[in-house]
Amino acid sequence: MWRARELLYELTLRDIRVRYKQAAFGVAWALLTPIFVVLGGVVARAALAGGHHGIDRTALASIAVKAVPWSFFVGAIGFSTPSLSSNSTLLTKVFFPREVLPISTVAAHLVDLSAGSLAVTVLLLVIQTPISLTVLWVPLMLVLLVLFTMGSSLVLSCANLFFRDVKYAVQILLTFGIFFTPIFFEPAMFGPVGARIAMMNPMAPLLEGVRVAVVEQHNLLVPLVTPTGVVAWDPIYLVYGLATSILGLFVALILFARFERSFADYV
Amino acid sequence: MSGYIRLEHVWKRFRKGEVHDSVRDLVPAMLRGKFGRRREVVPDKKKFWALRDVNFEVLPGQALGIIGPNGAGKSTVLKVLTRILDPSHGSVDVRGRVGSLIELAAGFHPDLTGRENVFLQGALMGMPRADIAKKFDQIVDFSGVEAFIDTPVKRYSSGMNARLGFAIASHVDPDVLIIDEVLSVGDTAFQIKAFERITELVRREIPVVVVSHQMPQLVALCTHALVMDHGRIVQRGTPSECVAGYLERVMSTNRRHGEGAINIVSVNAWQGSAVRSGERLVLSIECSVRDDQRTEDETIGIRLRSDDGTIWFETDARRAGIDLPQDKWYWFDLSVQLNVPAGGYVFESFVWNSAMNAETEAGPTIGVNVLPGRLFSGPVQLNAKGWITHAAQYGEAAGWAAPNTLQNVSLDEPVNS
Repeated sequence: MWRARELLYELTLRDIRVRYKQAAFGVAWALLTPIFVVLGGVVARAALAGGHHGIDRTALASIAVKAVPWSFFVGAIGFSTPSLSSNSTLLTKVFFPREVLPISTVAAHLVDLSAGSLAVTVLLLVIQTPISLTVLWVPLMLVLLVLFTMGSSLVLSCANLFFRDVKYAVQILLTFGIFFTPIFFEPAMFGPVGARIAMMNPMAPLLEGVRVAVVEQHNLLVPLVTPTGVVAWDPIYLVYGLATSILGLFVALILFARFERSFADYV
Repeated sequence: MSGYIRLEHVWKRFRKGEVHDSVRDLVPAMLRGKFGRRREVVPDKKKFWALRDVNFEVLPGQALGIIGPNGAGKSTVLKVLTRILDPSHGSVDVRGRVGSLIELAAGFHPDLTGRENVFLQGALMGMPRADIAKKFDQIVDFSGVEAFIDTPVKRYSSGMNARLGFAIASHVDPDVLIIDEVLSVGDTAFQIKAFERITELVRREIPVVVVSHQMPQLVALCTHALVMDHGRIVQRGTPSECVAGYLERVMSTNRRHGEGAINIVSVNAWQGSAVRSGERLVLSIECSVRDDQRTEDETIGIRLRSDDGTIWFETDARRAGIDLPQDKWYWFDLSVQLNVPAGGYVFESFVWNSAMNAETEAGPTIGVNVLPGRLFSGPVQLNAKGWITHAAQYGEAAGWAAPNTLQNVSLDEPVNS
């Protein structure tokens, strides 16, 4: 993989260039998805509150810090799942490490993640969210998010090469995943057992980690219990997040290497 | 580092038709495997062998040409060499950085400019970015698309696309070079330039493998050759031998064997299968006459075809002024001067019945590889003759009248027999 870094760089550059060529709004598109997610979240929260009063700053901040990582995940997975099958000419004509195709697609979406993170920072400053040192947990959570996304992209793109239905399944998952992932809501809203179940979603610890660190200004090594007695954060979630992203990527690379040799036969 | 290529007992199996393309097919297949009875071993009719026991080795300084009809497995060999395909059995050992002149513009993205695509395609071929940057001007200059280098390649003509692709691929400094059917890129001027470039690469003392249907170029580039058919190597030898052997093989298929009186047993060439353009070749046609058959209406002919199937020449014993004997068994020898351009040809023998006005028997064929001649080049032999008139003689005796004062230079080659 290290030997292919130059190719990875070129392919990432290709994806970024192609995405914004002949697109009138250019990089502004990177912000459009998270903006819509946040707006959707505001509407959902207002509906939950009975529609009588608007939502508070904390709720807005909570949705915003999770909307950006989620949009990154959706965009990166959506584009990388067909990245092998749509490059079939390359796979059958040129030899190069095949991992670079899905990985470069994910890497190209880092532009969106960076632009989104910048926008969220501005938003947090505007609505005057208090900031504490616990913000330092955010980079770690984002790195884990990127690793988790890469692992998923390797497995999904490989699976889609053999079975084209994977792409449709992924589309459905990404569209409706927002209802099963704590973005508009917090797992604690489901009560003690519901919270545990909601946190089993591999994306949940990564997104909640960001929210707890930024909005709750809470150290992730210490459990956080809500006034109603529900565990909103437990250090075990940190371990879970580390495991799904790092081990997940490791397993994905092994699986990918195992099937890579037969790509040209099946694509 | 000098590379080498070694293939040992390489087999490659492909599937015909669809594989499971959806989970709907996979789930029953998996359940059968897990819970069903142990699957009985059925010979799978959907699979076929694209390569069967292919062995060869190419050392530095050698250039191997692979010849064969479509579907013989030539491209599969190259894909196995470049590690795009994994062999089903056998071992493939390729040392060094592989440069491949195959599908030159495979990595181009239509929306990117020529410049951007040079870097992308270069990276796909394993060139470090710094190398590409260093050779960028050379590449662009070679391709001849300078004026459009900042235009998206989707606006390029197909020729420009191919030229840029060739320029990139041919500037990768490889330890091993693989060339597949790229000897006809762009217009004539570019083809000549590209051929010179390939010749230059081949001369670098690296192992080279060439697949082409352009026989003259293949013969010019390669030191060794092999012929493939249905996934097997069916002949090995010098490029000329293999070109001739291949043509004999393809041209003799689809020829019927009739029931004329005369039966052509064999055809041989005295000089072997490689001759220079303009030289003479003697064909020895062995004939036998079937019992109790009249031969008066029949004559033996030969026909010269080039590798694209065009008939270049045809004659028969009657037209050559030879009366065939009534013997049961004889040889009919025919000397021909090969005043044809260099290339691969076959001589087909046949029996012609003038009463029926039809070919009654298609006899054996023989492949001939015509090498560039010493006497002339170009498609026709104009039998040039020349002489010198010295300035001193010019005024007094110009022209034809005084042959004894002229030096008559004959360019005719002595008859070879």
